[in-house]
Amino acid sequence: MKPEICTGYDSSLGMSRRRFLDRFGMGLGSIALTDLLRANEQRALGGVLPTTHVPPRAKRVIYLFQSGGPSQMDLFDHKPMLKKMQGKELPDEIRRGQRLTAMSGNQASLPLVGSPFKFTRHGPGGTWMSDLLPHTSRIADEICVVKSLYTEAINHGPAVTHLQTGSQFPGRPSMGSWLSYGLGTENAELPSFVVLVTKNKGGQPLLTRLWGSGFLASRYQGVRFRSGKDPVLYLNNPPGIDNANRRRMLDRLKDLHQAELQNNSDPAIEDRISQYEMAFKMQTSIPEVTNLSTEPDYIYKEYGEESRKPGTFAANCLMARRLAERGVRFIQLYHPGWDQHGGLPKGLAGQCKETDRASAALVMDLKRRGLLEDTLVIWGGEFGRTNYCQGKLSANFGRDHHPRCFSLWMAGGGVRGGTSYGETDPFCYNIATDPVHVHDFHATILNLLGVDHEKLTFKYQGRNFRLTDVHGKVIKGILA
Amino acid sequence: MSNPEMRIPALLLAAWCLLPVGARAESPAKQIDFNRDIRPILSNNCYPCHGPDEKKRKADLRLDLRDGLYSDHDGARPVVGGKPGESELYKRITAQKSGERMPPPKSKLQLKTNEVELIRSWIEQGGAWSGHWSFRSLEKTPIPDLAESAGARNSIDNFIRSRLREEGLKPSPEASRERLIRRLTLDLTGLPPTLSEIDAFVEDDHPGAYEKLVDRLLSSAAYGERMASDWLDVARYSDTYGYQVDRDRFVWPWRDWVVNAFNEGISYDRFLELQLAGDLLPGAGDEEILPTTFNRLHSQKVEGGSTPEEFRVEYVADRTHTFATAFLGLTFECARCHDHKYDPLTQREYYKLFAFFNNIDEFGLYAYFTGSVPTPTLLYAPKAHKQKIADAAEKITRAEEELAKIPDTRKPDFEKWLAARPAEPAIPGRIEHQDFEGHKGGANSSIPGVEGKAIRLSGDDEYHLKQGNFKRSVPFSLALWMKTPEVKDRAIVFHRSQAWTDAGSRGYQLLLEKGKLSFSLIHFWPGNALRIRTRVPFEVNKWVHVAITYDGSSRADGARLFLDGVPADCEIVRDNLFKNISGGGRKSITIGARFRDKGFSGGEIDEFQVFNRQLSALEIAQVHDGRSLRDALAKSRASLDARLVGKLREYYLHTADDAWKKGLEQIRSLREAHNNIINGTTEIMVMRETGKVRQTHLLVRGAYDKPGAPVEAGTPAILPAMKQQGAANRLGLARWLTAPEHPLTSRVMINRLWQMCFGLGLVRTTEDFGSQGQSPSHPGLLDWLSLRFIDSGWDIRGLLRTIVTSATYRQDSRISPGLIEKDPENILLARGRRYRLRAEVIRDNALSSSGLLVRKIGGAPVRPYEVAVSFKPLKRDKGEGLYRRSLYTFWKRTAPAPVMMSLDASKREVCTVRRERTSSPLQALVLMNDPQLVEAARVLGQRLLKKHAENSASMLGEMFRMLTGRKPGDSEKKILNRLYKEQLDFFQANPEQAENFLKTGDAAADKDLAPARLAAAGAVANVLLNFDEAVMKR
Repeated sequence: MKPEICTGYDSSLGMSRRRFLDRFGMGLGSIALTDLLRANEQRALGGVLPTTHVPPRAKRVIYLFQSGGPSQMDLFDHKPMLKKMQGKELPDEIRRGQRLTAMSGNQASLPLVGSPFKFTRHGPGGTWMSDLLPHTSRIADEICVVKSLYTEAINHGPAVTHLQTGSQFPGRPSMGSWLSYGLGTENAELPSFVVLVTKNKGGQPLLTRLWGSGFLASRYQGVRFRSGKDPVLYLNNPPGIDNANRRRMLDRLKDLHQAELQNNSDPAIEDRISQYEMAFKMQTSIPEVTNLSTEPDYIYKEYGEESRKPGTFAANCLMARRLAERGVRFIQLYHPGWDQHGGLPKGLAGQCKETDRASAALVMDLKRRGLLEDTLVIWGGEFGRTNYCQGKLSANFGRDHHPRCFSLWMAGGGVRGGTSYGETDPFCYNIATDPVHVHDFHATILNLLGVDHEKLTFKYQGRNFRLTDVHGKVIKGILA
Repeated sequence: MSNPEMRIPALLLAAWCLLPVGARAESPAKQIDFNRDIRPILSNNCYPCHGPDEKKRKADLRLDLRDGLYSDHDGARPVVGGKPGESELYKRITAQKSGERMPPPKSKLQLKTNEVELIRSWIEQGGAWSGHWSFRSLEKTPIPDLAESAGARNSIDNFIRSRLREEGLKPSPEASRERLIRRLTLDLTGLPPTLSEIDAFVEDDHPGAYEKLVDRLLSSAAYGERMASDWLDVARYSDTYGYQVDRDRFVWPWRDWVVNAFNEGISYDRFLELQLAGDLLPGAGDEEILPTTFNRLHSQKVEGGSTPEEFRVEYVADRTHTFATAFLGLTFECARCHDHKYDPLTQREYYKLFAFFNNIDEFGLYAYFTGSVPTPTLLYAPKAHKQKIADAAEKITRAEEELAKIPDTRKPDFEKWLAARPAEPAIPGRIEHQDFEGHKGGANSSIPGVEGKAIRLSGDDEYHLKQGNFKRSVPFSLALWMKTPEVKDRAIVFHRSQAWTDAGSRGYQLLLEKGKLSFSLIHFWPGNALRIRTRVPFEVNKWVHVAITYDGSSRADGARLFLDGVPADCEIVRDNLFKNISGGGRKSITIGARFRDKGFSGGEIDEFQVFNRQLSALEIAQVHDGRSLRDALAKSRASLDARLVGKLREYYLHTADDAWKKGLEQIRSLREAHNNIINGTTEIMVMRETGKVRQTHLLVRGAYDKPGAPVEAGTPAILPAMKQQGAANRLGLARWLTAPEHPLTSRVMINRLWQMCFGLGLVRTTEDFGSQGQSPSHPGLLDWLSLRFIDSGWDIRGLLRTIVTSATYRQDSRISPGLIEKDPENILLARGRRYRLRAEVIRDNALSSSGLLVRKIGGAPVRPYEVAVSFKPLKRDKGEGLYRRSLYTFWKRTAPAPVMMSLDASKREVCTVRRERTSSPLQALVLMNDPQLVEAARVLGQRLLKKHAENSASMLGEMFRMLTGRKPGDSEKKILNRLYKEQLDFFQANPEQAENFLKTGDAAADKDLAPARLAAAGAVANVLLNFDEAVMKR
């Protein structure tokens, strides 16, 4: 790998040294020999961290984000008690006066509602799962279900922002940006942080800041691959300019830049030359990775037939595997539609049908290719749902947002498969043992990637920021 | 200083740091400066536990103050001048034992070898302390003498060059005339110079030609747009509300105000004052109030289920944050949850500043269902329209005065009526009476009531009536029996509306609030509403008759509450209703519950009656007891006391008098007319103080729901005190900011103006002038310019003129290998600065060169091609909206214009005073393939082909010049020729490709020109728009 063009994000000496200084926000007065030496090493890695802090268990992340708040007690967190108390009021000693959302918080009655779905145990670890997840049940051996996640946010906007950036309020870099910034990329010809959003799903809106780079340089922001003809913004040449002609045009552009270099030895000009070369390569490498037509039939069968349809969650899972194979650092999927305030039994089943098979297929596909051991796969949303129904109790009931406990699963690189972590109370309202705050979750992910969450920092507006702000502890119980 | 020989110019240190690493060992002993060299080390590593934050402070030791450094702590002194070995600070940072070592290993902080070394040298040199530079008052710095002043043009050059001389560097020669005019035009207007402008300047060899050019540019309309483009980042301007739902909002008149203000040469102090506190100026009119929209441009929330107070607090915090970043250059927001860790700013002081912005009648959520503009607002309309509104209001006032005279003139008619009064107590105008006799029960159960059956409410189930869709301009009355089972903190008795927080409560409603009864008419709660509330709590477990009358006046005194037939003692909670209360939700009254609101659970209601007129007191009494009016009518004339006669007169007027009826009807139609004009008038969010000052509390750990001690508005102690005569409101705050002794306001703005002209500020951390920020590279110059700025009456244009007429600004930007090694970041300015142009300038440059640019100042935002490919695609414009300056591109906060974003435009989520400048292949893709730029290239090619006919050399030469500002050199001409020829060959061989290429963008291709030539010329321009000199400021 040639550092000048390997990342496409770093370049010749003058610029990169300056950038190095920018990154650390340091004055020239405080830079030492060792730092400059380290800067060179970092360029090779592409990230700011000279080496990882702890031995990395995973090199990359595939985050299957389920936006809207999947109902934990209908999928993972088995609570027979709720069924027994069906229709009874949520006891005050459980609620403890904690704040509810303004959507159901003013209801005169908060009737409990049990899960209408059947729960069974799976794998030697006996992991509970509902029959909405037949395929995920089959990979119970590979995954660790965390049942004791919690957050402070009670609404989608703040909660998703919190999970993705470590803060409820806009302005911070997303997890993928932090990792690109810290660890760089393994493939210079693809962005290091790719975002795939399921197409044509309603539900709660997603926002570009969820994969934004906040105060980090914009090259660390997630690049959303679209399912149309331009997977990244203006990837394709305009009509009338074919690839060969674009090459000719770029050759002349390079000639002009070389001529300029003759009387101005500005490294920014060299940088520009290399950016255009990289862009030209991306015009080939991105269509190559996004072209799923070379996948064999059995793969489509595993991921489900809808994986043939671009923009579906299944197709995005398949693309995620292709990106992982090519060394993309952080692959973020979003699948909206989990916000079942009403019509939960049908709505939730539909969501699971769209995601269950492909999520499980992805894990097994990675495993078969030997990629699972250094790829961390995460499946989950921004918060849980209430044990009482929103509005009137009926067969077609719904559940409101619930921040005090929710479940997600992790698999692959460094995760203790076949297990569950943390317990909630019998009402699935508060956490009984081993709480995992969003910050702890982040600290744990960084740890799996070899990063000490307290040491990956960026100085901005006078302060060293990190993904976990001033909080977070690594949850050892999740680690293999 | 003990050893005079050690007085080496301080500036050498920075240069020493710039030296190639191998050269370091030979560096001479250097003079350490506490602020520049030591404070940052202490700040980064020690202040977290030994700094301003009292709660986190360990061992009662403070290293940010002079006393802390030198005083005795249990027999040890942190710093003993000249003696590192006796200085506890030095001993601790070099200690080997982990228990003694500082910073402690578990902090994960570690001093670098050179930092330890710097601290040792500093102590050896005496360990002198000095206060943080930016809090010190501006110093009248003597202008350095230049032994050789050749080439210097103003005092800026003295500062820059004296430093260069100390560093052993020489300034660069002046850039070429072509470069100068391009640089200057781009910097001051954001647009490229035209060819004729370039020619005129290159040929103008009069002395003062350059200054003439500067003046022309500073007085062009494009100057205001250029300046506004920076200010929109500071103001976090967006055409949508942001957060999650992110609806459109109407705020662009504020943007136009900014453009005009700059173009009219507004002084900076006035610019600040109007935006911070224009509404508080004596006699403030629309022109003074509109600028305050600045404070309302933060994101706003509508997501269902949110806690309004949480977001209201967030808005106030955003205003405070913006104020501190934009005007003070301080990271005050760090003190929201605890004392600032690095700067002498306490959490209490944060909330004192917060208090200035905490005093408007706003709500934390905007209305999901109704589209009302969040209060406070200004009715935004041209003067003539505002006059129409005032005239309509005046007519109402006059008609009301006329009506008030009627009772006196109608005495004989009243007596006539009284003599022949009817026996039946008629109460006309009843349009609905629900007695609940037919209610079958269910969730809302049927129970015995006052008369027959009543209803008991579940609190979750609405009970609908058929009537009640009243406008604010019509009188109406309502009556019911009600019983509450307990003291309700909040319960919705009945309402005509869609929702509470989700609809800004628009409509009217009767509530139990903290046990008291309140009645409101609301357009948007709380800033556009009226509310009255009983002073005594509503009785529990007792049937009480409640009646409400409203006279259609939109005034709080026009609404009355009666309890058991008697007027209740009420206080006025709000009295500022000026827009409609209709729209949204059911068109009739709903009893007992409301969407996402607290219903009247266990409450009982009976005999609900709705009247389409204002009932008189006697009628209300009759509705309550069924006899008051009947009894009064039955009494003989002689037995009627004066009080009862008065009541009967009121009854007569309201039910039987024609003149009164006519008068009422006239007022109603005038009110309707007034209401209609206002409803058709747009509103814009502004600042307006509430009558009563909202008590601000320190919020424990910054949490909206954890109020601590009350605080009053005030400024931080580290800065000069507010003058006593200034009020502790935003106006006082604005004046405090621009008092000449303020050390920050001028420095911060000067730094931004410098950044605008040089790409980097004299203080590189434009956003942080605190101890974690960078010290100024040229402190003397910063102060000199800052004082000059104040002395000039805060003349922004004048200051820019001073900067750009300096020889320093006019230097060539070319880089030699030696220079880049010595000063890679060009801190010392031995050459001109070069950097990639701003996102807006890159696009405007292409549009302007192609001739497509539509030069129209201001107006509603436009939607060019790129918004159609944003994350939330919008329908793009056709016609001129595609070709306006980028300043006017519609800004959608959660999915901003994607081309601008990829070119590092600010996201405008929060106040931003400095943009990142990055380079990536994704930018290259955009510059190559964005249809906007491809179209501009193609149209530019077409324009020049037409002009130069068959002469391709002159066509190419001019194209190059238009896009780079200079003529191509010989080798460049050769490359251009080859490029054109290759493209021509390609398109001639592939005519269908030429046709395809010419289809990009809406602008039609000229049918008279050969498609292959058009496409080839367009392709050349496409290449040139990606050329370094077209996208870099050089």
